[in-house]
Amino acid sequence: MAETFQVEPRLPRGKRFARRERQAGKVPAVLYGHGQEVLPLSLDGAAVLAAVRHGARLVELTGAVQESAFIREVQWDTFGTEVLHVDFSRVSADEQIEVTLPVEMKGTAPGVKDGGVVQQPLHELTIECPAGVIPEKLLININHLALGQVLTVAAVDLPAGAKLVTPADIVVVQCQLPVEQEDLEAGPGATAEPELIGRKAEDEEAAEE
Amino acid sequence: MAQMPKRVKHRKSQRGRIKGDATRGNRVVHGDFGLQSTQGGWIAAATIEAGRIAGTQYMRGEGRLYVRMFPHKPITSIPLETRMGKGKGEPEYWAAVVKPGTVLFEVSGVSEAAAKMCFARLAAKMPVRVRMVRRRAI
Repeated sequence: MAETFQVEPRLPRGKRFARRERQAGKVPAVLYGHGQEVLPLSLDGAAVLAAVRHGARLVELTGAVQESAFIREVQWDTFGTEVLHVDFSRVSADEQIEVTLPVEMKGTAPGVKDGGVVQQPLHELTIECPAGVIPEKLLININHLALGQVLTVAAVDLPAGAKLVTPADIVVVQCQLPVEQEDLEAGPGATAEPELIGRKAEDEEAAEE
Repeated sequence: MAQMPKRVKHRKSQRGRIKGDATRGNRVVHGDFGLQSTQGGWIAAATIEAGRIAGTQYMRGEGRLYVRMFPHKPITSIPLETRMGKGKGEPEYWAAVVKPGTVLFEVSGVSEAAAKMCFARLAAKMPVRVRMVRRRAI
């Protein structure tokens, strides 16, 4: 069930008015796509924040417009606590769209019992799938991940009708023996200074003379 | 051993001012959880190293700690009991310039409780106020 947002038209436009909207607990947004007009909207900030935190991507807009929309982009403040602006794009449920989703591990890797550590170098990947079946996140099963093995993008469970956009040979999860993070190599000492760009070493200058 | 740049264009730099909040480097990128600064300031290379050691020692090979800052700025000082004047002091140490919102460290491959404990140890070393943040989906 898609999240439903009550939206209002946002007029007038501009940063001052957007700021006032935010002070009133609302979030400025924009709706575009399908070659139709671009609509500036405003909606309840708390509802957006809750929906975004729960991974909602396909939403229903009611009020000023009656459409289903895809959350294309969310702008956050510096600390990642407040939503500043949302981009909605018009979609129909069976339309194929490109979407970047988080990847999460599922299960327990047997390699951990052998002393390995599971690492996930890739946290999100892009797929193309019908808008109606966009999942909250993608899962990768690590129940058979032995020590020294890797799982690539090809091993990620995809929803029906979806295909990968991210190359399939990129490593998503690996199980390796823990590596002591090496001490940064002991340099020439605390008083040493880095090389100066554009300045020749003294011995080079002497050699030229 | 504390970090410092390999090559620089100038030996000394002016103090500068820390204005505004971080608009880059304010998201968790590599790990699952991050330690975000809520204040601005300079973090000395030795302090970064102390934090790194505190974090890695707590995790003991589990998971991975990422350091998201680098000491690019040379900090100079004049020796004690020296008369004023006679030019700028000599570089004493290197520091990372941190704006409010900058993610300083990240961890991956550990539970939230373990990350919290790790960051608590690490935060004690930091000269700025920090908070724990998690990775965002969008």
